[in-house]
Amino acid sequence: MQYRGAVLGGVICQVFFGLILIAVYRTLYAGKPQSMPLERITSYVWLQQAFFRMLLASDPDLLDKIRTGGIAYDLCRPLNLYGFYYVRIAAQKLTGSLMRAAPMLVFALLLPKGWGLAAPATPAGLLLAAWGLGLGLLCVSALENITMGFTMRTLDSRGMQAMLNLLMMIFSGNVLPLILFPDSWQKVITLLPYAQLLDAPIRLYTGEAALSEAPGMMMIQLGWTIVLTALGVLFWQRNQRRMEIQGG
Amino acid sequence: MAFIHAVKLEKRFIVREKRKKGTLLREKKTVHALQDVSFEIEQGELVGYIGPNGAGKSTSVKILSGILTPDGGDVTVGGIVPWKERRKHVRRIGVVFGQRTQLWWDVPIRDSYDLLKDIYRIPGADYERRLKELAEALQLGDLLRTPLRQLSLGQRMRAELCGSLIHRPELLFLDEPTIGLDAVSKLALRDFLKWENREYGTTVLLTTHDMEDIVALCPRVMVLGHGKKLFDGALGDLLSRYDTVRTVSVRYEEQAASPRLPASVPLVREGENLIITYSPEAFPTSEMIALLQGAGTIRELTVQPRNIDHLVADMYREMDL
Repeated sequence: MQYRGAVLGGVICQVFFGLILIAVYRTLYAGKPQSMPLERITSYVWLQQAFFRMLLASDPDLLDKIRTGGIAYDLCRPLNLYGFYYVRIAAQKLTGSLMRAAPMLVFALLLPKGWGLAAPATPAGLLLAAWGLGLGLLCVSALENITMGFTMRTLDSRGMQAMLNLLMMIFSGNVLPLILFPDSWQKVITLLPYAQLLDAPIRLYTGEAALSEAPGMMMIQLGWTIVLTALGVLFWQRNQRRMEIQGG
Repeated sequence: MAFIHAVKLEKRFIVREKRKKGTLLREKKTVHALQDVSFEIEQGELVGYIGPNGAGKSTSVKILSGILTPDGGDVTVGGIVPWKERRKHVRRIGVVFGQRTQLWWDVPIRDSYDLLKDIYRIPGADYERRLKELAEALQLGDLLRTPLRQLSLGQRMRAELCGSLIHRPELLFLDEPTIGLDAVSKLALRDFLKWENREYGTTVLLTTHDMEDIVALCPRVMVLGHGKKLFDGALGDLLSRYDTVRTVSVRYEEQAASPRLPASVPLVREGENLIITYSPEAFPTSEMIALLQGAGTIRELTVQPRNIDHLVADMYREMDL
């Protein structure tokens, strides 16, 4: 019961933020229309709110295990530890965001034009967006597993997480759609892993990004996923060699 | 070569001390958690591992289970160096750390076992057979459908044991498995361990502070203190050295009766009882009885050996632990 409650709470919260953001953008556009059409902005907001859960680091269980030494048991399993944690992170993000996204997107589709979620620009755009989201999930999980690696050293994840979440919120387009950043900034931002997590797939969906841009985006995303995963694996291996489970 | 073969194990921890006034840097202190610890354990043995808190017991269990790398020395378990081939090693071992839990908190314990089945890749039929057998021996029954968080401590410990044995490990490490259990649960747990050891020849290394556990289960005991191995052998041999004193409690029909004992034998009056502590070596029991009888009509007399916890406390004290 409490799980359903939590999901419902999350959905309501995100819907509320979605509506407020749209109201803000509508006011902004009423004053001076921007480069991006309003329907695209509202679609952007809804998709972003729906998959918001995917971005934020959010598995207190795993962090607790590291902090309290429960990880000792995981070390006693015939498994690759990095993989075990990676899969758990990814699974949590996937189920967490799907459970929220489904009702929210249905709700958003029912809203009137100018408030709600528009249909995808092209069927191919939709497919590519879904693919991009999947890749984004792998990438963000790799990123979060590096945070786990730091937690093993510091035994407290809060500082690291606060910093990463802040970067994440800004550079993933959660505070402001990336397209509204100054052009010179955008050049750098789009190369960061954050931009590709949510912003790129959503732009493919709304048609803001042409389909021809998709391969480039995916390459950046894939590249980051490989780099971040490799870094994480190395980091974990080093950690494992010098790890001490404290206490009796 | 023995199943477990440990030679000159050594582990150091660096502890940073609190900064002293007037100094900039904190001082570092090296703590020797293990020093020159060697032992061999054969397959199918039940070995007790005792020592005061902080003696290095958990550290050695962590090294043997492959989750901690020692600073020196060699270990092989069935020919494998635990921390070098961790994944191959841990497949054959089961671990219960009494203070932590290996099962998932919010789901029925049966679901946790199912997950362990997948982790250890246990074939379906074998898994069902083993689970049924363990559930019966540990009296889990209806508990299988209960989430871990709703179990009492004793139930949880039984569930943990089941989880650690589901993949039929050859070697079981138990770190204080009876901590906080009531008498019935303790007895049941001990019976189960004996059964598992007899039935499958599982090697068991048991760390505990409960001496009754050792008496009931372990023909062999190793004592660790300050990171060094102090004793290795039968529990009886260890204790007979300290088990030299008997306590006699006498009650006379006559309230005022007072036996005349040598000055070296202390006598304390507790209500109607007289408590006499003596050493049979120095003062023969028959002589003692004769003296007691001479003083009046005895209504009740009991002779007690010393409590095993006292013996162990004496032992620790003498070993300067």
